[in-house]
Amino acid sequence: MTVVRLAEVARVHGEGAAAVHALKCVNLEVDAGELVAVMGPSGSGKSTLLNLAGGLDRPTSGMVHIGEQDLATLRDLAALRRRRVGYVFQDLNLITSLTVVENVMLPRELDGVRSRRARQEAMAVLAEIDVADLADRFPGELSGGQRQRVAIARALVGERRLLLADEPTGALDTRTGDEILQTLRARCDAGAAVLLVTHEPRYAAWADRVVFLRDGMIADTTDVSLVSAR
Amino acid sequence: MSTRHGLLALLSRGPRYGYQLRVEFEASTGATWPLNIGQVYTTLSRLERDGLVKPGESDEQGRVVYTITAAGREEMARWFSTPVVPSDRPRDELVIKLAMAVAAKEVDVSEVIHKQRTATMRALQRLTRAKRAATDGVAQRLVLDSMIFQAEAEQRWLDHCEAVLTEER
Repeated sequence: MTVVRLAEVARVHGEGAAAVHALKCVNLEVDAGELVAVMGPSGSGKSTLLNLAGGLDRPTSGMVHIGEQDLATLRDLAALRRRRVGYVFQDLNLITSLTVVENVMLPRELDGVRSRRARQEAMAVLAEIDVADLADRFPGELSGGQRQRVAIARALVGERRLLLADEPTGALDTRTGDEILQTLRARCDAGAAVLLVTHEPRYAAWADRVVFLRDGMIADTTDVSLVSAR
Repeated sequence: MSTRHGLLALLSRGPRYGYQLRVEFEASTGATWPLNIGQVYTTLSRLERDGLVKPGESDEQGRVVYTITAAGREEMARWFSTPVVPSDRPRDELVIKLAMAVAAKEVDVSEVIHKQRTATMRALQRLTRAKRAATDGVAQRLVLDSMIFQAEAEQRWLDHCEAVLTEER
């Protein structure tokens, strides 16, 4: 089952001589249970790709589908984003004045889910990620690795099955970074689709498929030989 | 890789047969450097010649137990306390290939980088899968980590080459 699909997607910023072609004719699908890593130098279009895949931005041409939904035909992108897509960034993921469980509950409460049920769902996903014991702590009391795991829990609470991660291992040491990838990998194996942007080869290597972006185009991917190697 | 010192380190934990040494050597390095039994016996006879191990009587099955000597323990301690010198490493074919590609004007260097990066990433993916599946203890995981760091360094170097060559053009 394809969770997100980009078909011949292009994104141009600006017009005429000043136009910047951030993305040119990109085709990419991420299935349920699949971890796809995107690598490339700065300015290669990684963030643009992630923003388009999550409905934070609209393509200049081409189509983006999340599940069966064509984003071009959708008026309320924000609602779809809230219900279907989770984000994890390098930093500033959690609200410091809320406890861990309150942070994870927040997107569900915004969806209109009652507080009691939102708390149950939050506790369930925290347990899946083995951080249920941190539920009543504040983000300031957690290590960097713990904060990122909570951010992953929040990104996947409720029915979200698409997780977009932009350098989620940013400032972490390699061992903690490996733990974050372990968590993302486990969520994939449980059925989530993850699109991971990273400039670190060691983390990209956790993916089923690694896509190399160059000047707004997919220059290469590792998938062909991996499939035949299985 | 020093088979000689690896065997001394194993013998420092107690007397062992040749076959046992082979099994334990492979277990602690995660079967990354397979040893054949011939190598084990050749190495043991050199260690014996140098007075670093001594053989016992052979048992009814013809097996000989080897024991580390005091000189052997000294040699092992010296090994652990001495850093490895970079010049001990073999020449890197990739580095030579890339330097030659840059020098030979008719070769498409970016294509060489491209192909290598994808291949190295596949190797990195295989190592990462092996690490996730590793169950034979921390020594095995650290051996795999070492190979992951090396593959990662190669990948970063390739990115660097590409960036530098783009500027030069």
